[in-house]
Formats: sequence, C-alpha cells, structure tokens
Amino acid sequence: MTDDPLVRVESLQKYYYEQDTFVDRLLGREPQSVKAVDGVSFDIAPGETLGLVGESGCGKSTTGETLLALREATGGHVYFEGEDVFAMGDDDRQRFRRRAQVVFQDPYSSLDPRMTVGDIVAEPLQIHGQSDREGRRERAKELLERVGLSASQVDRYPSEFSGGQRQRVGIARALALEPEFVVLDEPVSALDVSVQAQVLNLLEDLQEEFGLTYLFIAHDLSVVRHICDRVAVMYLGEIVEIGETDDIFEDPQHPYTQALLESVPRAATSEHGRRVDALAGDVPSPRNPPAGCHFHTRCPYAREACREEPPAYDVGRNHEAACFRLDESHAYWESTPIAQNAADSEGADGVGESTGPDESPSEAD
Amino acid sequence: MSHSNGVASRQDVLRVRDLSTRFFTDEGQVNAVESVSFDVRDGEILGIVGESGSGKSVTALSLIDLVESPGRVTSGQLWYRNADLAEEFSDAADGEFVDLRALPTRVRRALRGPSFSMVFQDPMSSFNPSIPVGEQIAEAVEVQRRARANPRSTRSRTQGYGLGRYLLDSVVPTLDYTDDESHERAVELLEQVGIPDPEQRAREYPHQFSGGMLQRAMIAQALAGEPDVLIADEPTTALDVTIQAQILNLLRDIQEERDMSVLMITHDLGVIARMCDRVCVMYAGEVVERGTLEDVFDRPTHPYTEGLLGSIPDLDDPAPRLQPIEGNVPSLLDSEMGDRCYFADRCPKAMTECLQHPPEYEAEGSAEHRARCVLADHPYDEREALPPDYFEAGRPAETGPVDGGTDDDRPAEEAQQND
Amino acid sequence: MVSPRTIRNLKREWRNNWLAKIGVALVVAILLVAVFAPLLAPYNPRSQSLEDSRLPPMGFTETENSTSSQFVNGSVQVVSERTTVNATWDHPLGTNQLGQDMLSRVIYGARTSLLVGALGTLLAMLIGVPIGLVAGYYRGRVDDALMRFADVMLAFPSLVLAVALVGLWQQAVWRIPDPFVAAGLAPSMPPDIVLPGTVIVVVGLVTWVWFARVARGEALSVREEEYVKAARSLGASDAFVIRKHVLPNSVTPILVLGTIQVAAIILLESALSYLGFSGTSLSWGFDINQGRDYLATAWWIATVPGLAIVLAVIGINLVGDWLRDALDPGLGGEGGSGA
Repeated sequence: MTDDPLVRVESLQKYYYEQDTFVDRLLGREPQSVKAVDGVSFDIAPGETLGLVGESGCGKSTTGETLLALREATGGHVYFEGEDVFAMGDDDRQRFRRRAQVVFQDPYSSLDPRMTVGDIVAEPLQIHGQSDREGRRERAKELLERVGLSASQVDRYPSEFSGGQRQRVGIARALALEPEFVVLDEPVSALDVSVQAQVLNLLEDLQEEFGLTYLFIAHDLSVVRHICDRVAVMYLGEIVEIGETDDIFEDPQHPYTQALLESVPRAATSEHGRRVDALAGDVPSPRNPPAGCHFHTRCPYAREACREEPPAYDVGRNHEAACFRLDESHAYWESTPIAQNAADSEGADGVGESTGPDESPSEAD
Repeated sequence: MSHSNGVASRQDVLRVRDLSTRFFTDEGQVNAVESVSFDVRDGEILGIVGESGSGKSVTALSLIDLVESPGRVTSGQLWYRNADLAEEFSDAADGEFVDLRALPTRVRRALRGPSFSMVFQDPMSSFNPSIPVGEQIAEAVEVQRRARANPRSTRSRTQGYGLGRYLLDSVVPTLDYTDDESHERAVELLEQVGIPDPEQRAREYPHQFSGGMLQRAMIAQALAGEPDVLIADEPTTALDVTIQAQILNLLRDIQEERDMSVLMITHDLGVIARMCDRVCVMYAGEVVERGTLEDVFDRPTHPYTEGLLGSIPDLDDPAPRLQPIEGNVPSLLDSEMGDRCYFADRCPKAMTECLQHPPEYEAEGSAEHRARCVLADHPYDEREALPPDYFEAGRPAETGPVDGGTDDDRPAEEAQQND
Repeated sequence: MVSPRTIRNLKREWRNNWLAKIGVALVVAILLVAVFAPLLAPYNPRSQSLEDSRLPPMGFTETENSTSSQFVNGSVQVVSERTTVNATWDHPLGTNQLGQDMLSRVIYGARTSLLVGALGTLLAMLIGVPIGLVAGYYRGRVDDALMRFADVMLAFPSLVLAVALVGLWQQAVWRIPDPFVAAGLAPSMPPDIVLPGTVIVVVGLVTWVWFARVARGEALSVREEEYVKAARSLGASDAFVIRKHVLPNSVTPILVLGTIQVAAIILLESALSYLGFSGTSLSWGFDINQGRDYLATAWWIATVPGLAIVLAVIGINLVGDWLRDALDPGLGGEGGSGA
C-alpha cells in the first residue's frame, strides 16, 4: 500500500444554493447555501476498496458524484493518477470518463425503461465511438454473461428483470469500458438480503478479476465491514473518522462512529433485548449546521470547546478521527460540558433529511 | 433468553389459521399469502421476517381487513380473544375467541384502534401534509373516544360530522371535529413517544418533522386507541441507524409499559433479533419456519432460513465469503407456482420429494418450532437429490416468468404500502 | 420503443373502456372519409346548381315564402307565393345557398380539417418539444428565459393571436394534386387539395407553447433519473442524452397532448374560417360562416358542418383519453422505484 494513490481527493466542497431562482433574484433574496460536502479529503490506493459510510443527508453520494465531475464542485481538487480532474480538457475528460465508472443505487431508475438491456450495456461503447452495432451487441452479451445473466436476455427490457438482475445490468454497463475505478453508490441498498449477498460476491469477484479500485458508498455498516479495506465515516458533509476497516470497527475513536456501531442490530440471538444507548435527537439541517464540531449537538461528550472551532483530521493512511478528545492536551478538557438537554432540543430542531435541497435527490437515501 | 420461556406460558390474543390472501390482477391470480398460521400472545413481540414479495405486509393488512382491491382474503380464520364479542356473536365464537372474518364489516372497522392498530413504513406518506400533526392524532383520539361511548357503532364515531357540519366547518373554522380534551390527549401521547416540546410540535405540519420524529408521531397515533395488538410494518426501514435505535427503544418501552402485543414485520434480521421473542419466517407467501428466536436463529431447519442468515455480512466478523441463496424470489402467480415446495428451485438441498408441497413439520428445538420442509422430518439424502439444473432443464420457460414475475408482484407490494 | 408492457396496458384499457372504442371508430371513419373523399363524394363540392339551392336534408321539409313582382294587365302586382321544398335523395344532407351538395362538402371538409389539425400539431410539436426539452434539461437561465417567453405566449388568447398573425401575413395556399383525380378515378372532382398554408403555420405558432410546457416538465423529471446520470458519467454529450434518453421517455405525454391538440386545432381552424380568415373554401368552418346568414331559413348549412366538427373533436379526444389512461406510468407501467 505504498503506491501512489489512484484517486486523491483534497478539500472537496459541494454547496447547493437555495432561493436562487429568477423570482428570488427579482425579489432580491440572498441565495442560501447548503453545504452538502464541506471539505472532504481522502485517497484511494490502486486495487483497494474505500468505504464511505454515513446516514442519509451526510453528503456521501454527493461526494461520489462530485469527484466524478458529475456535479460541479464548489471547491477542492480531485486527482486521478495525479491529474486534476476538474482542470481536464475535453479529451482528457473523455478519457477519464472511460476509466472511472459509477454504479447507482436504484436498479429501477438507473436503467432506461425504453432500451433493451443489450443497448443499455452497449451504450458506453456507442458513446465512446464504437459504431459497429453487431460488435457492440456481442460485447454486451459477453458482459451480461460475466455478471451472471444469460446472453439470451440481451433483447429484453429492464421491466422484465428483478431488482438484483437489474443491478447486475448496471454493473455490466459500468464494466463495458474496462474502467480502473468504480464508484459504487449504495449498490446493494435496494436489494433483498439474499440477492444483496449475490451482488456483493459478484463485486468482489470482479474486483479481483479486473483489478478494480472501488469507492463503496453505503449506509449499511455490515456490508461495509465485509467488503471494504478502508473506511471513511461521514457526518454532515465532513469526514469524522477514517482508517483501516478493522481499526474502525474494532477500535472506533469518534463518538459518532461509536454510536453508529452501537446502534446496528446484529442478527444473532445474543442481540435479544440489547438496549442501545441511542444518540439523542436528529441530524441537524445541512442548511444551518451547528458551529464548531457539527456533531456536538448529539455528542454525549460535548463540551463548550466543541462549539468554538471544528476539529480536523490529518490526511494520511493512518487511523484518524476528527475529535478533540484524541488530543490529551487540548483545551477541550478544560471547558465545561454542554448539558445534554440543551443539545437534545437543539438537535431535534433540525429538520434532517425530510426537506433536503431539491438539487440533490440522491441524498434522500 | 428466559424472556422467551416466559412467553410460552402466556395466552394467545390472536390465532391466525390457514389465512390466504390473493390478488386478482390482469396477469393472473397472485397468491400473496398462502395458508398462513401463527399465534400472537399477550405481551409478546412476534416477528415476521421475509424479503420483499414474501407476503409479510399483506398478512398484516389481512389481519385488520385493509387489503385493497384487486386483493381479497380468500380463506382462513382469525381467532381474536375478546369475551364481549364472543358473547355478542356466539355464532362466530369458540370459547373466548371470535373469528374476525365472520364479523360484520362495521364491527371489524370498529376494532381498528382499540384492538388493532398499525404503524407503517413511510411516515411521510402516512400523514396528511395539510393538517397539523397534533390535529391528526387528536382525530384518532376522538374516534376512539366516541367508539368507547357507543361501542361498535360506526355512526357514533362520525356523529356530528355529516355534510352540514362539514359545510359549517368550512365557514366557521373553530368548529373542529376534535375538542380540547382530545387535543390534550394528543399532546400527552406525543410526549409519551419522546417528542420534545410536544405542545409546540402538535401545532406543526408533517413537513416540519424529521423522519424519526414523524415515526414517533405515527406511533403516538397508533397508541391513541390503546390497542391490544400493535402491528408495526417495517417501522424503521426508512430511518437511519441511529434513529432506528431510538425508535426500537421506544417501541420496546411502550410494549413493556402497556403489556401490549406487538407484531413486528421487517426484512431486517437484526431488528428481529433485538426485538422479538418469537419469529415467523415467510417465503413466497408461506410461513416456512416459526418458533422461538433461538429456534430460528440457532437451529434453523429450513434451508431458506439458513440461507437468509448466511447472506448477511456479520458486523463483528468479516467472513471471507458470503453464502447467498442462488436465484431470485419467485413469482407468486398461481399459474407458475406449481405444486412443489416453492423454495425447491433455489434450495441447495432439494430432493425428489420436494416436488410435492411439504406440510408443516415439527422441528428440533422448543415445542413450538415448526418448519415447512421435509428436512425437519428426516435428514438430507444425497441419493434423492435433484440434479442441479433440474429447474432450468425441466422448465425452459422458467427464465422468462421468473424474471418477469418479480415485477408483476410489485403492484401487490405497493398496494400494501400505499395505505 | 414500445415495450410489451405498454402494449398490454393499451389492450387492457381497450377492453375496459368502451368510450375508447367509440373514439377510435369515429377517428378511423373520419380518416377514411378524408382519404377517399373523391371516391365517396357524390358531387364535386364546388359545382353549383342554383335551381337546387337550399334543399333541406332528408327527413325535413322546408316551406318558403317568396314574393315577386309581376306585370299583370299592364300594372305591377306583388304576388306572394308559398312553395314547399322537399328533400331529395340526390342531396341527402341538403344543399347550400349555391346549390352545392352539403354531403360532398362535409366529406371534403374532413380533408382540410384533419390536414390542418395534423400538420398544425406537427409544426407545434417541432417547435415546442425541442424548446421544452432544452429548457427542462438545462434548467437555470435557459429555462427561465424560454419559459417566461412561453408564459407570455400563453397569456395571449390564441384565437386573437391567430387572427392578428393571419391578418398580418399574406394568405398563402398550398395546392397538392389530388392523386385520385390524377389517376382518373374521379374525373369530375376538384383537381387539387387546397391547404391553407398561413393557417397551418399560424395554428402551429400559437399552440407550440403547450408542447413546450409538457416537454419541459417531462425533461425536468427524466433528467433526475439515474440512467441520465449514468449516461453522463459515461461521457455522453448533452445532445446524445436528450435524444437517446430524455426524448424517448417524454414521448408518452407529448403524444397524448398531440391528439388533444389536433382536436383543438380543428376548432381553431374552424374559428378562423368562420371569421373569414381561411385560405380555402372547402372547410367546415368556412361552411359554418356561409350558413350564418341563412340560420333562419336554411339552418342545415351551418349545422351539418358543425356536427361534423363535434364528432371529430369528440372522437379525437376519446382516443386521447384512451392513450393517456393506457400509457400513464402510474397505472403500473415501467419505471418507478421502490419495492
């Protein structure tokens, strides 16, 4: 793992602006920013799987789409093999599009219902200039076989497939151009567990066979533990903890990660009757995130110092967490604890995921 | 674990026997629920777990008679323990139990609230967006209050809310269906489900609530009639994991406080493990295995249950490889189901005798462990095994219908959730 | 383009909806009449015969009071005569004031109405759909500009706008040789199909807004679908995405609107003809205009083409309703998420 990273993300920002319509401008309203992604940095080594976990509205899907330049970034840089993705010219951008692919969450909305699966899988080839129709069709058949479907299904429509099969079609499409890097945006969240396991196995096999590098975006911690080499935990547009999967799961440092792991119900009889110390309150609105550490409104250890400045983490390959508690000499230890009640009601005031900005429907996962 | 033993000695509050619900769609008859039997006991949490299309939600809707056209409960009995009703409708009674399906519709409707109430998956679509949340809960309270004053008369519950009253209301906005008392009760309920500042929140509209808060409000609404059985249909599926933990805690607290019975319907085996005393596993409209939590999780007999447990990645131990169930969820079209074990085409242990539909066998473990699989009766015999490509070779049309089928049963699945 | 499910829905709606059958029957009948007009019409719709003027339709008798001055015995006398005019099978729908056969005129009028309806709608689609798709796909300033312009267009009553435009421009008329006449199958019929070019352009110009709005709405929703995102992530150009994904998935409501617009344009064309802004004298609206002066004495001159318009509009709207119900994805069509 000493190689140069394949993907390097530096202080990536993506803000949405509300009240920014024609009428709003006429009425002289100030555009209001929603900081969906607010300064995220990480890197991904070739061949590894980095997990990006967090709850709905934390900005994980936006991060994935912004780093692929599907959405215009507000700030920051993304380097793909050292080359700045946002500064690429048309030709370079097109080459980048061949090498970096994405698989979406919703197997129903991600396939055009009016195209046959053969056309869907072959679409990337068509876009990238392979004009020979018969050749595209052959390649589509090959890809369908590879993802565990039958080549004879090439002329069927997506509506004739189940969710798991559609997700396989989506994966086949992502593989058509033989990419090196694939963003998997909640690829199994919409699937039933028995089918989910099939798709996870398929993704692992494909990674091995083609030497793929994955950014695996998910909210399901069990899945992340299973498939990822490293994990970054996001909360309100920021990464709060990042590290090797085993370190994160066995020795979580950030109170949010700890609470997240604590909350997951395990499918075992020992789980019966386990009472979880649930985090109080809701996720605050990203329109108006709390000052200082975003998590202080729900954090059981919050102190005055947490309101004042945001903690930072080092970008590196070590286990890092953005929390003052990890620094034994920090002023945090001198400041007074915030009463949990106050934090509670403040947290409950946030409207959370219910009224996310309409520009980012993918966040309503 | 002593918890489960305590449950065994409790009395049944609801006995479901051979319940079948079918949807009559353009594509054909869909057997959404197929001859399902189970009991719900006093003060327990019974789990029903299954994947989408397994019929778990339709089962719940069938219990409270909310299956919508083109669906219909076609057979079975729902024995509900209620001495008063048993006396009043002695034709449909068996001791203290009365068969809900034999009761007139208005009586069944009157039972929604004080006897059974339901919490749905999507709180956002379960509330009317244009009415304050408190008002909607107060309405539920009012309905129950009137029902108690004059039991089982639909008229009394809507009394004073005819057309005239409606027109009057639109002119004079102060004349509400609900009164102050119901409002106070609504605020009280909101407080009980842990909503901070309930007075204020009662006046707010659904869109001002977060998903978790709205789910709490829906639970408050379901509690308005102080039901005997609370049916929770995927109550935490739409929520984040930290919010899910809050809601699960809340459900357990109210269940213990009121000694209610809860029927917990979910696809999440983790939620089942945390919450439930006893479990039913559903597949293709049938209960394929049922028993105590230990029976099902530690001694699974049906290969489907085993496969389900093998499919979930373990949070505390990253196993090198998952053991998924091959194939896809079957179509529930009557014409395609045949007379075999419905799981045989995906089962790693399918044998020749699985081409006959298996009865429910007693299985190893507690006295109530049952499985609809021949393996509960006798062990796997490799000489009897079906060839691995039996279903592809034997039924060349299968690749088509199986794929298409999963889509065809979606209307049924949606119908359950749209309520 | 048409998936098996769409066909299934169409069939189901067909089975359950007897109105659809009436609508399709009407539209097919009118279409056949329009196409085979030269073979079906008993007379040349333009040939006049003054002695047969104002004959009533079958089943009606008309009495006519006529006064005439005559020289009788060297002085002028006013003679009042009362004549009874009987309908004849020669002119089952009667004749107009020029003695032209109403049946033939209605048959030929169907040609004009349907052609103007279809071509006008096509033109409106060609203008409106691309504008709407572009506005909806790009949103932002492009959308603001295009849609404000569309709103202004909508705010104008379309008839007033049309009258203004027709008045402003020259009456252009396109003449297409009638194939049946050219082939010698109907030698006595008019040799050309006369199309009111200005009217077609004008109705297209005043109705494209509807298509723009519907197309924009569809584009707004389709652009959020993940398959659009997927195509963009593959490096597809905007033009490719719009042509390949956005347009095909917006087609259904545009088609439904199209059928309804054909009916609306037939009405608009009739209204224009009625007001005298017509390029052709063979049109239902023109005949209504002609009959206006004779409403008291020869009501059928206006009523017969009026009925034809009513039947055509009802038929087309019923077909539109059928398509809308059958193609509505809300009825379990393709797409949609969840489960």
